[in-house]
Amino acid sequence: MSITLDQVTKRYQGSTVVNDVSLDIGDGEFFVLLGPSGSGKSTLLRAVAGLTGVDHGRISLHGRDVTHLAARHRGVGLVFQNYALFRHMSVADNIEFALRVRRMRAAERRARRKELLRLVALEGLDDRLPAQLSGGQQQRVAVARALAHKPEVLLLDEPFGALDAKIREELRRTIRKVQRELGITTVLVTHDQEEAFALADRIGIMNLGRLLEVGRPDDLYARPATRFVATFLGAANLLLARQSSRGLSFGSEPVIIPHHEGAPHAREHEVVAVLRPEEIELAPARDALASPYMADGAVEEILFSGALERLRVRLGNGTAGAHVVRSDDGAGEPYLEVTRTQHEQRLFPVTVGQPVALGVRRLHVLPTPLSSFVACAPTEALADALSREPWLTQLAARMKTRIAVRVEPALGTAASPQTEGETAASAAGARFIGIATGVEPAAASAGADCVEPAARAAVAELSPHAAFAGAAVIAARQETGVVRSVEWLLARGVEEVLILPERTAAPRRVLIHWMDECARRATLAVSASLLRHVPAEAVYVDILPEHGSPEAARPLGMRALLDARSEAQTVHGLDMRTELRYGDVAQELAHRLAERTDQLLILGLCDVADLGGRFAALLARPASPLLIVYRRAETADRAATLGRERPHRAADARLGSQAAPALGGAEPARVRTAGRERYA
Amino acid sequence: MAGSRFHQPSVLPGFGLTFGFTTFFLSALVLLPLAALVFMAASMSWGELLRVVTSARAVGSYRLSFGASLLAASINLVFGFVIAWTLVRYRFPGRKLVDALIDMPFALPTAVSGIALTSVFAQNGWIGRYLSLLGIQVAYTWIGVTVALTLIGMPFMVRTLQPAITEVQRDLEDAAETLGAGRFYVFRRIILPTVLPAMLTGFALAFARAVGEYGSVIFIAGNIPRKTEITPLLIVIHLQEFDYRGAAALGSVMLVMSFVVLLTINLIHTWGRRRLVAAAC
Repeated sequence: MSITLDQVTKRYQGSTVVNDVSLDIGDGEFFVLLGPSGSGKSTLLRAVAGLTGVDHGRISLHGRDVTHLAARHRGVGLVFQNYALFRHMSVADNIEFALRVRRMRAAERRARRKELLRLVALEGLDDRLPAQLSGGQQQRVAVARALAHKPEVLLLDEPFGALDAKIREELRRTIRKVQRELGITTVLVTHDQEEAFALADRIGIMNLGRLLEVGRPDDLYARPATRFVATFLGAANLLLARQSSRGLSFGSEPVIIPHHEGAPHAREHEVVAVLRPEEIELAPARDALASPYMADGAVEEILFSGALERLRVRLGNGTAGAHVVRSDDGAGEPYLEVTRTQHEQRLFPVTVGQPVALGVRRLHVLPTPLSSFVACAPTEALADALSREPWLTQLAARMKTRIAVRVEPALGTAASPQTEGETAASAAGARFIGIATGVEPAAASAGADCVEPAARAAVAELSPHAAFAGAAVIAARQETGVVRSVEWLLARGVEEVLILPERTAAPRRVLIHWMDECARRATLAVSASLLRHVPAEAVYVDILPEHGSPEAARPLGMRALLDARSEAQTVHGLDMRTELRYGDVAQELAHRLAERTDQLLILGLCDVADLGGRFAALLARPASPLLIVYRRAETADRAATLGRERPHRAADARLGSQAAPALGGAEPARVRTAGRERYA
Repeated sequence: MAGSRFHQPSVLPGFGLTFGFTTFFLSALVLLPLAALVFMAASMSWGELLRVVTSARAVGSYRLSFGASLLAASINLVFGFVIAWTLVRYRFPGRKLVDALIDMPFALPTAVSGIALTSVFAQNGWIGRYLSLLGIQVAYTWIGVTVALTLIGMPFMVRTLQPAITEVQRDLEDAAETLGAGRFYVFRRIILPTVLPAMLTGFALAFARAVGEYGSVIFIAGNIPRKTEITPLLIVIHLQEFDYRGAAALGSVMLVMSFVVLLTINLIHTWGRRRLVAAAC
């Protein structure tokens, strides 16, 4: 590997700018770090160059650990957005700078300079001053200068940012050519996806300091794993859909689209589907579609843009509630973005207002366990208030999903969770509130005003008996007590419950812990999904019982930590810190949570009895948000039955030698089978 | 069209008016008094003039005035750069306060700073007490003169350098560092060439101010003829003896010497700039 990053973390004034980034870049690879401004990509590049120190993690170049090595000893070439040429030196002096530093002889210097100028197609401009060159020429000089000392790695920080479109393309070609010719490992940072597509062997997409996904450009475009990547790389319609063994359906009217991607799920559940605008087919009627029918709609807007026609189609026949996200603007109405080629336009010309049938040629389902949120409260006012909690609305906006409101009077009464009879009657009404997806943190923090009136109007009434979909959200202040409410929700098929205290502070640290091995997989998946949208550092906390012999338990505990980390990495592309503690689980977690308020705990369980039992105190009045991930033991990951008992739970009785071999045998196989399941 | 002149794309309209003012003020405030000075000196006979300006006392005062001024400006070159660098590059508590302190020598009556310096550097002063233990006497020697002149010239240097240092972008240093340059190399090859013009300007200003300084120096200098007597003081002494022409003669010498020094600095300045342009052709 040419460049290896291991859990690189950089904090700046309390916020984490680069968050646990681990990455391997191969020899001669052209790697593009893509992300919006402020995503930490430039900081990461500077860390590789050695211009910024890191707070955590390691950086290796060609197998040599350079984490604490000064920039000048790292052997990298760096090209800046603003060229950073030495203005008082001629082109020749600029290029020869690195050679002069190394005391190379004049004749050799000149030969190398000529060679480099030929490489970047600037022969004969040796004696010019930078000020006498155009922007494109200056950047070519900067590239030549960065290559002069034959670095092993070339780093480019938004090198085309200050250039106009034509020059940009020309320079792009030059850089690609130079890179191929020299076979030099190259990392380029950009916010321009077109640039990334044009140059990259592989792209790594960053947001909020995290490296979300890494892959070949076509792979990332066709099969993104996260909502952010789906919408950042090209335009995408994100829709909430229900997936069952038969396929996908949008909204309340069952329209089944056969769907072969991903693992089939036995139980019907909510998923997020990605529809690229070019994969949607329009036809005058359902029968005329060549691809599977999805919905009816009406053309709302037509925009001609050269080769492509861009349309907005309003969805009809009950699918409106399914639509959440528009690719660019946050206007309240549920539109579908469609692009059509000239050929398609000629086959079926449309006008504004025309009813059309929509078909889907290709569709990708994001493997996300957190599809949407449902704010649950005994009264409408309380549920409304909960759905407007600033941190929640911010999270939902980042996740490009919605917060539905569900009134559950049962949450207000002291009913026992065991009384099944009231289930059907309890759901007095449920509706969806479209969340303006353009809402950014600043707007979201404004609180109650962040949900636009237009968005609030886009409410789809759901059948009161509709099953729960998405993660339930409840307030931490409950008359019936948090434990009761969570138990009640879990009994009704909810798998994730988010407990929000009033005025939740945006968490800076996320603690992850699961009680039982059967909740491990789900907890990791949910954690990964959440952490992609929260700029917080993740710590997996494992807790060993204090009694017995901690000395013997220690290697097992460490092993569990490493396993958890490697699974998070390989399966979810999420990197996290690990921590081993000794003591009572609930007490240790409460301890850790008490340290500061800006934390969030993700707790995985398989046994509902734990809630009222050992976690009663923790749940009594939580000061920080809590996300409970519940998986019924029998339906949960088969891994539990593969013989892997959670070592230290078993340890109470038989700690030590017996558990170890089982551990080693089961682990690699599982990681491989789960290989493609990266969660959004 | 006559009116079109007022539509020129300039913030301040009226070239004629502004140029007129410029000429008038320069003439009335600078050129005329200087001409009067030279004229007054010229009314002396050559012999008399030579005798006044080459007297041992006068020569001693030139040496002190120009020597101490050059030394003070040189000290400011180094430490003014350090101060300006600190103020531009670092953010620390009290930075605004330090920034404001820089201008204090501008605002203070020079006599006040002279008295203050004397009390600190005198043999029983806060600093002078310890220096005298080392056998160094500051007050009433040429060292004291240099200290006073350094204080007076410092704001000129710092204020001239600050914008220039702001222009040295971090990226340039970063680029040089990734290319393998060590700190000293970066300073010598990247930072220094960029701020050199400003340094020369600051040096010229600090030097000019020091040569003309009177108020602060006379308190700390001790004013021993031929040893710690500066030329401006000698001129005042001539004036007190109603020897206006002698004073004018010394003044003219100062004028010529200052002009020569400033002109030299300016020439270095332009030469440096031309070298850059020449390299480009």
